[in-house]
Amino acid sequence: MAGELLLEIGIALTGIALAGALAYRVGLSVIPAYILAGILIGPNEPTSVAGIPLTLVDYGEFIDVVAELGIVFLLFFLGLEFSVGQLLGDRTRIAKIGSVDFVVNFGLGLGLGFAFSFTVVQTLFIAGIVYISSSAVVTKSLIDNGWVANAESGPILGTLVFEDILIAVYLAVLSAVAFGGGSVTEAAASVGAAFAFLGALALVAWYGTAHIERLFDATSDELFLLRILGVTTLVAGAALTAGLSEAVAAFFVGTAFSATSHTERIEHVVSPARDFFAAVFFFAIGLTTDITLLAGVAWLLVAALVATTVGKVVSGTLSGRVYGLDATRSLRVGIGLVPRGEFSLVLAALAAGSGSGVLQNVIPAFAVGYVLVMSILGTVLMQNSEVITDRIGNW
Amino acid sequence: MTIYETEVPGVGHKFELELDGDERLIVLIHHDGKREVYLRPGENEDSEKLFGLTGKRARQLGSILEGAYFQPVEMDDIQVPLGESIIEWVEIGADSPVVGDTLQEASIRNRTGVSVVAIQRGEETIANPRPDVTIEAGDMLVSLGTREEQQAFEELLGEEGTAGGGGVEGGDAGDA
Repeated sequence: MAGELLLEIGIALTGIALAGALAYRVGLSVIPAYILAGILIGPNEPTSVAGIPLTLVDYGEFIDVVAELGIVFLLFFLGLEFSVGQLLGDRTRIAKIGSVDFVVNFGLGLGLGFAFSFTVVQTLFIAGIVYISSSAVVTKSLIDNGWVANAESGPILGTLVFEDILIAVYLAVLSAVAFGGGSVTEAAASVGAAFAFLGALALVAWYGTAHIERLFDATSDELFLLRILGVTTLVAGAALTAGLSEAVAAFFVGTAFSATSHTERIEHVVSPARDFFAAVFFFAIGLTTDITLLAGVAWLLVAALVATTVGKVVSGTLSGRVYGLDATRSLRVGIGLVPRGEFSLVLAALAAGSGSGVLQNVIPAFAVGYVLVMSILGTVLMQNSEVITDRIGNW
Repeated sequence: MTIYETEVPGVGHKFELELDGDERLIVLIHHDGKREVYLRPGENEDSEKLFGLTGKRARQLGSILEGAYFQPVEMDDIQVPLGESIIEWVEIGADSPVVGDTLQEASIRNRTGVSVVAIQRGEETIANPRPDVTIEAGDMLVSLGTREEQQAFEELLGEEGTAGGGGVEGGDAGDA
């Protein structure tokens, strides 16, 4: 039994490793590669290719837990790297471009949800999924294309910072609403409870810096790693048990560390663990995806792809203008923000875990299809942005 | 010179150094220690990646740039501020009146106020030279004193004896 499980995990990890290597070779984001690996060797269609059975890995408890840790540590690092200084230092401009980005893209998401006659809660999930750009894919592409050294990286990173804090709040609200039962008062009560808990966490994060500093002053990297993994998982688990978003709890644990001198060490020591957990998370998303469901959301998918690509390009271009950039660079800001990724999938995982019917099946399938296309499309657009900016410049 | 620092979430820190005109040098320090250096020729131009280095290599390059391995000395323009005092390097010409005198005989401190803190003779450096050291032609005398004292010292050595140490004002040899 244990042997069988070990073999399955071995197949899964090897699949992830191969997919990652392949993505690196062709210069694309690893996220869609991990998802595709999951779809390919998972229990759903396609189950065989040319008569060779492909169902090599089932969605078991081990993968479930590691994937959950993936969400926790993605959000933990989001909190850790969340730059309060950057946000405050440039607050007027970041607030402006963040608002433009939110109004255009979240608005488009709401429009899509209602146009395809989803319920309010379902629409809120869809809006969140199409709204938020992928920090992981965008920052990596920024570096790969050398844009990080250009002026357009300012508004791009500014928008990401704004989105990061908004998604933390949004996750808290949405998980409270999704888990909080039907009525408005019940939902309001659970939103209140969520914010009380998170408020307490935020206070600890804010005032506990000195204690945290001392508590995590381990001499060996091994002990340091274990402490960080232990505390983060413990807090996230406690939050989940209390009916709150484990992701948001992890985000606040991350912010608690961001004010200490441990940040650099965490980046060194804990990042590999995060990368591992996150890879399994994306893979698990693939495992649970039934791509036959994509046929049912094909029109929504097409509409979302077109509308939200245009939406990000437009809102990004406006943001570039707020930063006083020229036409080409402003357009690049828009193109740079097109990739969607990990946070859309975190929202999809929340939807899958909280509801039934549409929330459990249709929305996650939509999110997977959407992220697959948008993470690849975004990267390719950035690599070939000259073609686009030249053409628009000649208008 | 202004240096702009920005955090790049998930990546590290970015520093922009202003060069001449609109040119900027951009250094990206990744959390894993890797450094990347970009050059942006002008405000509206695209940055070009010049090179990337590991943390260790970057530190070596940094030390080289800092002058830890080789420090060019601009002999015409050397001044190190020490409160009121400055240090000057003065080469003793063959015709200088003090050639052949010991430091005691030349009585430099009594006559000018500067202290000879070292003598460079070819490859050799005589630090804190004793009074009975003889001054030879071609010696480089390192003297400590105020501007006025240095002036008097140069006059003592005679105009033709001051191959170096012109005492140029306003130089920024301190940055060299």
